[in-house]
Amino acid sequence: MNLVSLALRNLKRRPVRTFLSVVGIGLAVGGALALMSLSRSIADSAREGIAEIGGDLIVMQRGTSDIFGGFIPEATVGRIAAISGVARLSGMLVAFAPSGVAGNVLAFGWPDTSYLWKKIPLREGRVPATGERHAAVIGDAAAASMGRKLNDELELFGGTFRVVGIAGYASTVNRGLVLVPLADLQEATYRPRQVTIATVTIENAADRSELARVREDIEALGDVIAAAPDEVLDHDRNFAALDALSRAVAIIAVAVSALNVLTALVLATQERTREIGIFVAIGWSNGRIMKSIVIEGLVMCAIGCGLGVLMSFLAEYAFPRIPAIGNLISFKPGVGLIAPVVGAAFVLCVLGALLPAWRAVRMLPAEALRRM
Amino acid sequence: MIEAIDRGAGSNRSSGARSLIALRGVSRIHDGGAIAALRNVDLQIREGDCVAVVGASGSGKSSLINILCGIDYPTSGHVVWEGRPIRKKSDWVWLRRLRIGVVFQEFNLIPTLTALENVELALLGRGMSAKHRYTRAGMVLGRVGLDHRPHHLVTRLSGGERQRVAIARAIVSEPKLLLADEPTGNLDSISAVKIADLLFHLHEMTGMTLVLVTHDDALAARCSRQIRLRDGAVVDDTLQALLSGTVAPRSKI
Repeated sequence: MNLVSLALRNLKRRPVRTFLSVVGIGLAVGGALALMSLSRSIADSAREGIAEIGGDLIVMQRGTSDIFGGFIPEATVGRIAAISGVARLSGMLVAFAPSGVAGNVLAFGWPDTSYLWKKIPLREGRVPATGERHAAVIGDAAAASMGRKLNDELELFGGTFRVVGIAGYASTVNRGLVLVPLADLQEATYRPRQVTIATVTIENAADRSELARVREDIEALGDVIAAAPDEVLDHDRNFAALDALSRAVAIIAVAVSALNVLTALVLATQERTREIGIFVAIGWSNGRIMKSIVIEGLVMCAIGCGLGVLMSFLAEYAFPRIPAIGNLISFKPGVGLIAPVVGAAFVLCVLGALLPAWRAVRMLPAEALRRM
Repeated sequence: MIEAIDRGAGSNRSSGARSLIALRGVSRIHDGGAIAALRNVDLQIREGDCVAVVGASGSGKSSLINILCGIDYPTSGHVVWEGRPIRKKSDWVWLRRLRIGVVFQEFNLIPTLTALENVELALLGRGMSAKHRYTRAGMVLGRVGLDHRPHHLVTRLSGGERQRVAIARAIVSEPKLLLADEPTGNLDSISAVKIADLLFHLHEMTGMTLVLVTHDDALAARCSRQIRLRDGAVVDDTLQALLSGTVAPRSKI
């Protein structure tokens, strides 16, 4: 027997205490991972959606508070197309459209000739033909949540659209999209000859100086700014607010989880005050006692963290299947999130075990032995 | 420092009845002076002594044992081990690990471990191999008559068997001093006799010093020396009486 096997025996032979402590740690770690992942996923989902649509630059109205809040005249889009180095571009009108069956859906309006139609990963059907009106391609998650299939009718802004295609985008946001001809959306939103943003593809995007030059040329047109897709949300006040909210949620999640981990370990160690007194009585040094307690805490922490990570993976599997969550945000607890959370849990477990053990070894051994 | 005490002590072993542990003016006050568990106790336990500490409940017997093994500290006065005062906590740790074994009325075993594992605990950190610890713990369990149940959880053992495990744990390091605080207090009469026999047998076979706290006059009478406490003070010590010539010598002294 050594200190590790002693810890394992103790844990094995106190199944209820071990179970409750491990589950406590597991719930704390799993909860922290889930909440932090969810809070991050709001912005991440939007970024993924923008990246999947494509483009090297996103052009939007200068001074607009959020990405969907500004408007650019279609004429400006035409002037951008004339800038040298621009390979292709597409204006895009964005709106949250009342659908009648699933509340508001995110609707994109693309010009009939936009290259974006050709990039749709169609799962079924087709894209609207040039000049075709009141036709829509919907994401598979939108189709599922609205209960619509190919050739069904769909209500948007009070008008009726026919579902001509089902798209199989990968990102959560795009899976919930409704794509319609630009003219239809302009008419429905009373925004004739306007788009919300334009996506621009550069001929030589790998050349940073070329990208910067095109960007400057676009912004020189006045009233518009151009940003890389991953920078777009940096200018968005709504996402800044969401980001702040996400951080607040993450801080609360971490604080609550830290408290849970500490409580689990402190209680598990406090319960052993008498045992600590026995160790003292048989000649164990304080260092050896602390080492023994910490080893036991670390073993519980390792099992609890494993359980927590497993729970977060189960949540990753389950949440996308809940339409109210899965249609809006993705949930991906990656290594970049798991590593710091698990690391923090280990630090807390060591502290949670050391603090009461330190108190116990400082206690008069005779007093510790009197504890039940 | 204690190693130095030990080495220094070796020089006068020939005397045969040298002091092993002594209390010098020891008092133990609780609750800011409201309770005096021990009052100015001067006491000397000699190597090889078999001492019974008797007295009514609350007389200070357990406080005396706790101070003799360093799990409680005097409010005033000090403890002397083989002629050197013990002042540091680390000295007490060393003494309890190698020189002093303690048996409690409540057994104080780790309930999640087997009999053998409880005994092995006292050997951890001694620089012994796991195999050596295992063998030695098993051997000592055999000496206390528990070689047939080494792998039973202590919670599955009878009171007498648990106390045997506690004794095995206390003697596995071959201490010079074995302190037993009411070792038969929680046992039925048959088990109590067996445990007492075991303790006296170990004392006789190994020569280790035995200090026994008990309520039982018959058990106390089996010891070569009795110390009676009342209200935290030593009111009677047969050794002092013997030295002063007021009682006849016992055969074991």
